[in-house]
Amino acid sequence: MATPSPGIFFVSIYEIFGCLLTGVHLDTYTVRTMTSLYFGKIFSFYRQKRRMPTHSEIAKLVGFKSRTAARKLAEKMISAGYLERDARGRLIPKQAYGEARVLGTVEAGWPSPAEEELIDTMSLDEFLIQNKEATYILKVKGNSMHDAGILEGDMVLVERGPQPKDGDIVIAEVDGEWTMKYFRKQGRSIFLEPANKQFKPIFPKEDLKVAAIVKAVIRKY
Amino acid sequence: MGNEPMAIFHFPRAILHIDGDAFFASCEQSRNPQYRGKPLITGKERGIVASMSYEAKALGITRAMRLLEAKKACPELIMLPSDYETYSLLSKRFYAIVKRYTPDVEEYSIDECFADLTGLRRPFRMPYIKIAEAIKRDLDTELGFTFSVGLGPNKVVAKIGSKWKKPSGLTAIPGNRIHKYIENLSVDKLWGIGPATTAFLAKQNIFTALQFARRQPEWIRHYFPRPIFDIWEELHGKYVIPIDTKPKESYESIQKMKTFSPASNDPAFVFSQLSKNIENATMKVRRYKLAAAEAVFFLRTQQFEDYGVEVRLSRPTAAPNDFIKMAEVVYPRLFRAGSWYRSTGVVLFNLVPDQSGQLDLFGASVEIQKMQKLYRAVDQMRAKFGKHTLYLGSSHYANKFAQHVGERGDTPERKSSLLRGESRRRHLGIPMFMGEVS
Repeated sequence: MATPSPGIFFVSIYEIFGCLLTGVHLDTYTVRTMTSLYFGKIFSFYRQKRRMPTHSEIAKLVGFKSRTAARKLAEKMISAGYLERDARGRLIPKQAYGEARVLGTVEAGWPSPAEEELIDTMSLDEFLIQNKEATYILKVKGNSMHDAGILEGDMVLVERGPQPKDGDIVIAEVDGEWTMKYFRKQGRSIFLEPANKQFKPIFPKEDLKVAAIVKAVIRKY
Repeated sequence: MGNEPMAIFHFPRAILHIDGDAFFASCEQSRNPQYRGKPLITGKERGIVASMSYEAKALGITRAMRLLEAKKACPELIMLPSDYETYSLLSKRFYAIVKRYTPDVEEYSIDECFADLTGLRRPFRMPYIKIAEAIKRDLDTELGFTFSVGLGPNKVVAKIGSKWKKPSGLTAIPGNRIHKYIENLSVDKLWGIGPATTAFLAKQNIFTALQFARRQPEWIRHYFPRPIFDIWEELHGKYVIPIDTKPKESYESIQKMKTFSPASNDPAFVFSQLSKNIENATMKVRRYKLAAAEAVFFLRTQQFEDYGVEVRLSRPTAAPNDFIKMAEVVYPRLFRAGSWYRSTGVVLFNLVPDQSGQLDLFGASVEIQKMQKLYRAVDQMRAKFGKHTLYLGSSHYANKFAQHVGERGDTPERKSSLLRGESRRRHLGIPMFMGEVS
């Protein structure tokens, strides 16, 4: 299952508590402030006392009259993956995400109040590669794409398949060799343009064989 | 013989067979434009043709042909050492792309798979042939070379379809048209019919697949075992041979064979080659937590004659020492002075799960446990530092020298073009474009 969306989580807390308890219609902004207030209060309790609050303590903290309401809030947070219960039913914090968060660090697995907009994370692989099965790597020789910031020795991730658009950097097959250039399409004319004044554009005599499109450049130091 | 169809339904099941066209050679051609459109073979390190491009095929080069002959047939032939790392990366991508469309994929071999499309017309809102087209399009564009696809109501018919037009064909054979496709198909071209069956059928004046299919089921069942009858039924449009989607979990036998060059007539050197194979085979046996009690050792001469001998141990084992001791005993029977040998091999079979700690009558279990402990450590060390960091003294000659001296000792280009941060043993799991990129 995908990581729970924080937006939905906040609204559902609002639906259960906001409406039930106050009977007043609140706009989204207010809901967010309220829920982050709940979070903030439970969170600072945990930071101060180094333990999780009980249900009645949660009720007191967030201003609920009943412990049942507090328990429901806790259940909601458990199903969203922020908390869990130990063998005796007491609440314990839980790191919901296996990976590092984009926004700073989070103490003891808690979303900080500043982190209202929780962001799901991705690995560097996912970040660089869209279509895993169609992605290849190659090593750059020469400096014809120097001004595009692609230097000799760089590693380039390319994807086979998609139709190139004007301005894409492509790997094309010219005279039995790979060449990496800007793909230019102006009206009917198609040509390959280097990013270095010392090189000339290539106007293909026959049809141009574009093998792949450059998706990322990797340079290790 | 009438012209009535084999079956009335088109696709009661929709089975796809997909076959990579000249897979290894195509992997090489698709990543290096220098090779495109030229006769090319892989298998240089083995001394025989493992795979040839269509250009090489057109010049009469066939599989398992010796390199010297191949070069004679075509002097400008490009010969490359096999780069199994890249081939298997591309093979995994091949299965992954097919699995985008259906989870029921049988990974039949490195360059072939079966896929079950039954019931997918509605979710994809396309007829089966269009789904097959879409799969083929994805494969061709994303892997950079072509695949041949056959669609049929079962595996046997799908396989006829994928062979029908090669390379880059797509042939759909619905149940009611099977008879058209097998009319002139020689019976030995059917999947699962070997030379013995073909010879027997020829005596009965059966030469085409249609003649075979027109025989009465009682006759087939009387003369042939179940697998041949299954083929007969599938030619009648039934779905009999199931798609096996389970990944390989165990082996019936494990074989290791290695060729070396130049050929040798030195008994000690040839024995160390055999010893190395035994070490590698037992390593694989241990990896699958198995043990073997039977083995066949064999030597192959320069004239491609094989000499083998079978041995049986008192209990299943996964330690190479046990097999090497046996090999030492039988080796004089195997090795003939004056013969020149080019490869050695070992097959371990009757594999059983390794039951460690089982006592035996003569109290050898202490020894066995010691051995197991030792090889656990050996395997860990090899995993960490490389396969050949630690080996038995009997394998020394084989490990001391490269497997092939001279031209055949070439290594794949990918192995010598490492990226920054890669080591000889750990590469990035992404296939690489080769040749100059300027």
